[in-house]
Amino acid sequence: MKSSAGVWCAALGVIAAVAITAAAVAGGVSGHEGARAETAAKKITICLLPKKKGLPYFTTCAKGAEEAAKELGNVELIYDGPTDGSPEKAAGMVDRWALQKVDVIAVSPNDPEVLGQAMKKARQKGVHIITWDADAAPDAREFMVNQATGRDIGYALVDTMAKDIGGAEPEGEVAIITATLTAANQNEWIKHMKERLGKYPKLTLVAVKPSNEDQRLAFQVTQDLLKAHPKLKGIFGISSVAFPGAAEAVKQSGRSGAVLVTGLATPNDMKAYVHDGTVRSVVLWNTGDLGYLTVRAAAALASGTLKAGDHELDAGRLGTKKIEGDQILLGQILVFTKDNIDDFDF
Amino acid sequence: MLHEGVIALLLILVMVLAAWLEPGFISVGAQLELSTHAFELALLALPMTFIIIAGGIDLSAGSTMALASVTLGLLHQAGTPLWLASAAAVSVGAAAGAVNGIFVSAVRIHPLIVTLATLAAYRGLAEGISLGRPVSGFPEGFQWIGAGTVLGVPVPVLVLIVAVMVAGVVLSRTVAGHWVYTIGGNELAARHCGVPVGRVQFGLYTLSGMAAGLAGVVFAARRNTAKADIGAGIELEVITAVVLGGVSIFGGRGTITGTVLGVALIHELRELVGWHWRRDELILIVIGVILVGSVLLNNLASRRRA
Repeated sequence: MKSSAGVWCAALGVIAAVAITAAAVAGGVSGHEGARAETAAKKITICLLPKKKGLPYFTTCAKGAEEAAKELGNVELIYDGPTDGSPEKAAGMVDRWALQKVDVIAVSPNDPEVLGQAMKKARQKGVHIITWDADAAPDAREFMVNQATGRDIGYALVDTMAKDIGGAEPEGEVAIITATLTAANQNEWIKHMKERLGKYPKLTLVAVKPSNEDQRLAFQVTQDLLKAHPKLKGIFGISSVAFPGAAEAVKQSGRSGAVLVTGLATPNDMKAYVHDGTVRSVVLWNTGDLGYLTVRAAAALASGTLKAGDHELDAGRLGTKKIEGDQILLGQILVFTKDNIDDFDF
Repeated sequence: MLHEGVIALLLILVMVLAAWLEPGFISVGAQLELSTHAFELALLALPMTFIIIAGGIDLSAGSTMALASVTLGLLHQAGTPLWLASAAAVSVGAAAGAVNGIFVSAVRIHPLIVTLATLAAYRGLAEGISLGRPVSGFPEGFQWIGAGTVLGVPVPVLVLIVAVMVAGVVLSRTVAGHWVYTIGGNELAARHCGVPVGRVQFGLYTLSGMAAGLAGVVFAARRNTAKADIGAGIELEVITAVVLGGVSIFGGRGTITGTVLGVALIHELRELVGWHWRRDELILIVIGVILVGSVLLNNLASRRRA
């Protein structure tokens, strides 16, 4: 009997330890919870789900989202996502939020199928679903908050490269390093890039190579390209992994400035390359504004001011935003150069 | 029994806490719907219990799941009837497990090394043959396996109940179950006593692969997707649940009841923390603390007994 008493004491110890951990990490949140219950009548609960929690890209989106929630006043914003980027965990979160009958769930699906299934189930329970940053099947959500259309991005990439190469008629060979050959976003951008290259007849596209979202492979592929095409003038790295990989390869080859690299990535990843001249411009959108617009759209949807078929959305400090079909467009490409890149920290 | 009692008590306390914090969470409807989240974890934990009691380990379960899933997806895409594609997926899982079994039982390589190698190899194979492309668009009838209900109870849960009962009976009431404990207690002694050690080990790893194959099929039905990156890291969750349930990582000790309680505790904690605090990082911390706590408890208990 004596021995079991000791074990029970230890059991209580474990419980206490768990309680303390929970309280320590989530103390602030649980206090917030209590406040929610009092004003539950008017509150709109919006869940913002990133592809992966903890990535600087999404953390800065969340900052903008919080700003919008504060401005609106009646919004309780929940920002959570899988820390390991697992689509299954993300789907589990959507399931739980739907059971809790939140008002809106805004999803950046890291797997459109796995998340799509959970999103459809949530819609059947009467929860508003929108996507942001990345899309799922149209019947899984009501709107998508689109940071930039494929056309915006494709054109901006080519125009930026043309400007960086310079001259009235920019001239030279260019190559694209993409994510995977099947990546939907990237293929859409490449289509529009090819279209835009028509405007610059002396820029010739000599290769499109996959990097399989592996920075080392991007590095290797770029080295091969530099060897195979000695007259190469520009490289597009069109994923956040391909871009730094390509820049590093050009830098190590000692041809910084002679071969220009541009593409899509977060400013922090590219700052060093921008300052040493390997990269003149980094193309992206304002992530804070993306989060801000998402919460604005979600709140409007929950309160009934945004309905299917609308052509405009009042987006607070961003002004009026255009809606094309079911796509709410942020429509602001941001080009980072050595003059402004240090103003952004993500 | 003592350890199971402690875990059961912890589980009850978690549910009481849940009832107090979030009455909606402990409703039957919510619990039934959330229960499907634990399917893969629970199903894989059963053969893992046998394997760990027998002194082994299987790290390749998640990768085997992916391999089976990809098999199902590609066969479905090629027009194979789904029952046949599912059977093939489960068979591929069993074959993958059998390969582990051969290396452990006949070649006599340590299971940690064997399954560490196949953890990588099976995932690579799955990625390679699927080229990383997911397959979806399974018909409603097939999705019923994962998302359907019978009298309100999700089908995967019914599958689990049957699997748990079979596993419980085999481990505690059959000669094979007795062999598993004997091997885990002292493999050399077991050999001398005429226990067919190799055959039992081969059988256990094959069974584990088969369960992983089934998990891959049910996952495809549950989320309408077959692809190569499912189940990544699930082997560690499974081992955590099994150890939490009181199975000794050194073999020789443990029960299916304990494993079921361990799985239930992890599942309920995970869902409650996600439901109430909505912080994914917190889930990992809580599970880590519970695991260390329970192992400390186990040590304390066995020291007192000794």
